[in-house]
Amino acid sequence: MLRRAQCLLRLHGNGGHSLVSRFRNYATDEGNPKQNPNPNPRAQKPGTKNLPALRNPFAAAQDRTKNSYLTMVEIFQERDVHRRNHVEFIYAALKNMADFGVERDLEVYKALINVMPKGKFIPTNMFQAEFMHYPKQQQCIIDLLEQMEDCGVMPDHEMEAMLLNVFGRQGHPLRKYWRMMYWMPKFKNLSPWPLPDPVPDDTLEMAKLALERMCTVDLRSKITVFETSELKDAIDDTWIVSGMSPEQEKLLREHSRQKALYIEGPFHIWLRNRRINYFTLRADADSEFLSELDERQLDEDDVSHIEVPFFGRAPPRRHNQLGKLRSVHQQDDGTIMAICATGTSTKDSLLSWIRLLEANGNPSIGEVPVLFRFTSEVPAKAEEIEGGASVPATSDNSSQDEHISSRQK
Amino acid sequence: MNSLLRQGLRLGCCLPAVQQQIHTTAVHRTFWEREKKSGYKTKLPEPSKKQMIMDGLRDLKEEMKLWRQEVKEQFESDPILVFRPGETDVVFDFKAPDVLDKWTVTTDADHGEGKSTATLELSAAGAGLFHGQVNSDHTKDGIIKRTGYANIRTKRVRKSFKRETTYDWTQYNMLVMKVRGDGRSYLINLHTEGYFDLMWNDIYHYVLYTRGGPHWQIAKIPFSKFFLSSKGRVQDRQGAIPLNRVTHFGFSVAAKKGMDGPFGLEIDYVGLEYDPSHREEFAYEMYQTPKYIVAT
Repeated sequence: MLRRAQCLLRLHGNGGHSLVSRFRNYATDEGNPKQNPNPNPRAQKPGTKNLPALRNPFAAAQDRTKNSYLTMVEIFQERDVHRRNHVEFIYAALKNMADFGVERDLEVYKALINVMPKGKFIPTNMFQAEFMHYPKQQQCIIDLLEQMEDCGVMPDHEMEAMLLNVFGRQGHPLRKYWRMMYWMPKFKNLSPWPLPDPVPDDTLEMAKLALERMCTVDLRSKITVFETSELKDAIDDTWIVSGMSPEQEKLLREHSRQKALYIEGPFHIWLRNRRINYFTLRADADSEFLSELDERQLDEDDVSHIEVPFFGRAPPRRHNQLGKLRSVHQQDDGTIMAICATGTSTKDSLLSWIRLLEANGNPSIGEVPVLFRFTSEVPAKAEEIEGGASVPATSDNSSQDEHISSRQK
Repeated sequence: MNSLLRQGLRLGCCLPAVQQQIHTTAVHRTFWEREKKSGYKTKLPEPSKKQMIMDGLRDLKEEMKLWRQEVKEQFESDPILVFRPGETDVVFDFKAPDVLDKWTVTTDADHGEGKSTATLELSAAGAGLFHGQVNSDHTKDGIIKRTGYANIRTKRVRKSFKRETTYDWTQYNMLVMKVRGDGRSYLINLHTEGYFDLMWNDIYHYVLYTRGGPHWQIAKIPFSKFFLSSKGRVQDRQGAIPLNRVTHFGFSVAAKKGMDGPFGLEIDYVGLEYDPSHREEFAYEMYQTPKYIVAT
């Protein structure tokens, strides 16, 4: 019991030590105990220092670029003719790819496969082929291919040739490769809303992409980028990307002056791994209009009331046959008037958005009361949007209604 | 002591005495499977005998009702044979009462293997809202490699007296969904659980790309596009989905490629449609593979 506890303590002690030593300069030949936990702890004696069998050059590297990464692979290849521990080397290299920013680089994966000796692992008889000749090596390359798959890197035909040279036609990595080359091209460009890969870093560009994507619902939508500096007394100096279509402008014009509009948000949209906050200008659903539409629930299977269009009787006319059409923006849960994303996502920038909309072809918005309705699960975010104003203590998932009238400006 | 021992086992490397007797790596038995959950079955406490009798009697009433309905249908013998093109038949409607009881929500946190959270509830618009956080962080125990998913699935379709059955969607060729997403892509899962253990994990998948934004979106996906996978691996020997053997329906979302964070998918309905202009049977061409390569 005591001995076990000591063992555990020692283990934790090692962990603490390694945490401290993590920031040392590993360019020297010192070992790195954290990155290379000794696989055989029985060999450790309590008094001695950790002397790992392997050194992880990737954890030790100082400049983390693709070039230094490839240089390290090269050094390993040229170190000796036997290339001992190449499986461990490849696993270590795979683990550290993200730090070097090369996890989506096909060239690097090829360089790693190139570490494997050619021709040595090709099975020469049926039994070797059947029982996974050199299983550790094969599994290592399968894991490499899987990492490529996870990162969305599609292999090419040169890689097939390399794998054939290493493992032969019966190798399991080849099977994985062929499967990847069958399925990955099929799914690569499947999305109906294609995005650049990688997505741009600039938030404004991302906001434009997000708005464009959301506005595909109405092909006539226009994306406008406003600057708040165009307005006289805007506090925030930022950009506003606004999306609105002529149809929405018409809806806004016809909107009753007595009924409020709501600015709601922040909602989020994902573009690959980036999240963009957006706000909507919404009105309550026009129930009068929706009830006028011919969406009566007619049971067409009911044969008990067939109206026969003969004998002087007028043919059955559908309700609202030439009448109004429902716009795509008129949903059951509200009418969407416009969408926007701003640089700061604050209340002031949204106020600027309304004023800019009013100045740019929507004068009716000045006559309608506009309410802010923010929902944020994070109190800090709510405070940020409010722009330093007092925030209710119960801001978790609660919505705040605040009445502003754009006429008071 | 026990907890220490367990911890030691999990660490697997620091107990020289124990290590000699117990091997600490996970054992993969791939020959046959004992139960459908593949080792993830959680043993729930059984209610008392009295409670079980009472529950059984209460259920009996409902089951009799169902059974009476089935018998009636059998005698009426009036099945719908012609499905009009362009008409959507709703299968999973979130406007129906107590619809949430028909769905099961699972995440990787259920078995202590991740930190994702998810719930399915009714949204303000009266639709089902599947939302939460997916998180790809996990305890680095050396066994679990990747985590970060959330999943909803309907319960197994059944007849009266808790007899399992399957959906029969052979008359349709399109899946129609009215959803409002957040720009993420979701995975549509059609489970066709079979009788033998090899077929327990048969799931047909396809991607549901969501536009994002405040507008609803109607996604129409032909059944011919769905591909077979088992335990997350796309299978070599493919085929069109057997629409008369669908047992569950569900959606998944993952935190892959750094997409950790909140997600939200609002589902109004999931329906089926017959589109006569869609003539494709299976979207993926099948090549003759060399011998002994498939499924190895």
